[in-house]
Amino acid sequence: MSVEEHHGEPGERTQETHVQLPAPTFWPMIFAFGVTLLLAGLVTFWAVSLIGFIIVLRAVWGWWHTVIPHEEHEYVAIEPEHRPAPILVEYRSVVRLTVGEEGHRAHLPVEVHPYTAGAVGGLVGGAAMAILACLYGLVREHSIWYPINLLAGVILPGMGNATAEQLRQFNAGVFGAALIGHICISILVGIVYAAIMPMFPKYAALWAGILVPLFWTGLTYPLIGILNPAMGEHISWPWFVVCQLAFGLCGGYVIARSTNIRTFQSKAFVERAGLEFPGSHPEKEPQ
Amino acid sequence: MASIDYPLERPAVSLEKGFAQHLYEWVATVDHKKLGLMYVVSALLFFVIAGLMAFVIRLQLMFPNGHVVGPDTFNRLFTMHGTTMVFLVGMPLVAGFANYLVPLMIGARDMAFPRLNAFGFWIFLFGGFLLYYSYIGGSGLYGAGSAPDVGWFANAPLTEKAFSRGHSTDYWALGILVSGVGSIASAINVIATAFSLRCPGMTLSRMPLFVWVMVVDSWLILVALPPLTAAQIMLMLDRYLGANFFNTQQGGSAVLWQHFFWIFGHPEVYILIFPAFAILSEVIPVFSRKPLFGRAAMVGAVVAIGFISLGVWAHHMFAVGMSSWSNTFFAGSSMLVGIPTGLKIFNWTATMYGGKLRLQTPLLYCCAFLFQFLVAGLTGIMLAVAPFDWQLHDSYFLIAHFHYTLMGGLVMGIFAGIYYWFPKAIGKMYNEKLGKWQFWLMIIGFNLTFLPQHIAGMLGMPRRIYTYAPGRGWELWNLLSSLGAMVQFVAVACLVWNLVHSALRGEPAGDDPWDGWTLEWATTSPPPEYNFEKLPVVRSSRPLWDMKHPHDPDWKYE
Ligand SMILES: [Cu+2]
Repeated sequence: MSVEEHHGEPGERTQETHVQLPAPTFWPMIFAFGVTLLLAGLVTFWAVSLIGFIIVLRAVWGWWHTVIPHEEHEYVAIEPEHRPAPILVEYRSVVRLTVGEEGHRAHLPVEVHPYTAGAVGGLVGGAAMAILACLYGLVREHSIWYPINLLAGVILPGMGNATAEQLRQFNAGVFGAALIGHICISILVGIVYAAIMPMFPKYAALWAGILVPLFWTGLTYPLIGILNPAMGEHISWPWFVVCQLAFGLCGGYVIARSTNIRTFQSKAFVERAGLEFPGSHPEKEPQ
Repeated sequence: MASIDYPLERPAVSLEKGFAQHLYEWVATVDHKKLGLMYVVSALLFFVIAGLMAFVIRLQLMFPNGHVVGPDTFNRLFTMHGTTMVFLVGMPLVAGFANYLVPLMIGARDMAFPRLNAFGFWIFLFGGFLLYYSYIGGSGLYGAGSAPDVGWFANAPLTEKAFSRGHSTDYWALGILVSGVGSIASAINVIATAFSLRCPGMTLSRMPLFVWVMVVDSWLILVALPPLTAAQIMLMLDRYLGANFFNTQQGGSAVLWQHFFWIFGHPEVYILIFPAFAILSEVIPVFSRKPLFGRAAMVGAVVAIGFISLGVWAHHMFAVGMSSWSNTFFAGSSMLVGIPTGLKIFNWTATMYGGKLRLQTPLLYCCAFLFQFLVAGLTGIMLAVAPFDWQLHDSYFLIAHFHYTLMGGLVMGIFAGIYYWFPKAIGKMYNEKLGKWQFWLMIIGFNLTFLPQHIAGMLGMPRRIYTYAPGRGWELWNLLSSLGAMVQFVAVACLVWNLVHSALRGEPAGDDPWDGWTLEWATTSPPPEYNFEKLPVVRSSRPLWDMKHPHDPDWKYE
């Protein structure tokens, strides 16, 4: 501590010699004892309850007398020698966080892509992926329904039992499931792309277009048997990689072209959340 | 601070007062500080008793085919251990800490209803005595009776007359019912005090977080306890008058009991853990030399936890066979509690982040809380997944989970609070070295006891078995667990010695040993009966900071 000075808080002192406090009374204790005995009679002997009841009556009478007609008080003397020690004033200064200080939260993106760009990018990427997948179906299996039926396996576990012939057939229900699933996942992934692309320190295009699809393929490889047993059996991994890359490149391109919007990152999190802490609000004079 | 020309120590209590006068002083007191201390001391006594019971349980389970106690005694041990820890340790600790600190922190002279306060304490204590009297009177006065053996949640229809002869179950219901009246009384008192006796300038937004948490806690008590009391009265009607509420053989419903019990039981878990939240919110800022991070969010979180905790009770009943909609709802709502709770953990951590930490015993216990309560939260989320719960329901995994919550969380928080406010309440400093010893023994002992129980549980060991056959892979984990219990035994002995010895022989603590910021540190240690000579006037949430830094006060920024 650098500089200290004695500082008797005037708020702690009074000219009075006594303080008025509620007077002590043992009736609440007796009352509690009576209530306990009253109930204890249930598990012991009726006379215990009877005694408890009598005690309760007496205690109620006694308790009332401490408040009716006037609440009883006692006057406790203020002993000057037991006054609290004076409060020490400390002249050390406090470093306060200045909100919006440059560089303070620069690790988070200052600008982001709008979520709508993510959704659109996801749809475009998903379309590119679907075209390539259907092309694969035509070239390798001579049916564009083949990859669509496989994809539906995520939602319809029964597809795992389908034969290769069945997978080439068109089925409206399966087509609907695959379409909805594909669109939803594409939009979701697109939005995730829009959110994380500004966070890459460098080479956002490389990450979004190439690396993330490859990572995704790596993640899918061991899990495919659980997620989609149908696809796991019939999948062609080179084509899968190509489709993923198509999504990443096309979707990423659409998102990257969008107009960026500024984030609140120039403000501290606490301020955006509306929380209070010293320094978060401008100084004001006492009311 | 050596230059203070002021007597730090009160002169020793004059010896002229006889024993009878001392006794009268304590028995007739309506002073919130005396009552608070009596609550805490009786809770600690019950803590030691229930801890010794747990110790015997661990001795019995240390090796397969144990013969320390028989199966009947074992059933009584775990029933009385659980019941005592929840109703005679946890609840009075809530009341005790709130009683002692709420009026001091809001600058009041006493609680709003001082006589009701005294009544609350005594009826809690007598309720506890009634429960323990069952060891003598469990079969009525004339039989060689014994204590309840139906488990702390006393599932129906085990509690019906046909399965539970004698009076042991009645003692369970009556003892808790009686002491529950005390909890209700003190909850009403805390709410009334915090809402009507705050000193000038103490707006709700400036009220210390400790008081905020205790207010929410008291509301929870008011909402959660009546269903239990009602259910216990229904149980008594079943047993005495043949009402058949829970008697399945006569068309009653055993599941109904579970609903009633857990509508109380789950909020009760939060009622118990809230004092630890309250204590952490005071200790961590002072020992990190930083104001609490996100004060308003912390208040919001505690209120949110209070509300959500009222809607999750049936996660204790996944194994009952409810509809899948119920399972889904209660799994979802249970996971929801994790959000505000996680927020609190983040904010405490953020308070410490960048702070000037003083690693003394109170803060050490707070750190232990953060780690162990986090583990408890994670296993809690696991158990909230209904199919996961079907696997591990009523196994030692669950035992480990809730002991991490209540022992690793609540008890560690309470220890932090005891060390933090001991100098204020007693006026003497505890022994810091012994405190650190206790801390490390406690941490090692606690984790050694309960970490292996996760594994024993996953290996299929059910709770409440009084012994087990060798060869199931449970031996090592039970042995470790029991060894841990012995370490904890030594740790608690250190605590008791430290408290008793320091109270008698400790160094004078001074009024404000921690350089605190809330009003209790502005008065003498121990505080005079009237708390404050003149009621203070506050202008910020850290009134003592303002007094210590008149050139840089908090109110400029709040
Ligand atoms: Cu629960």
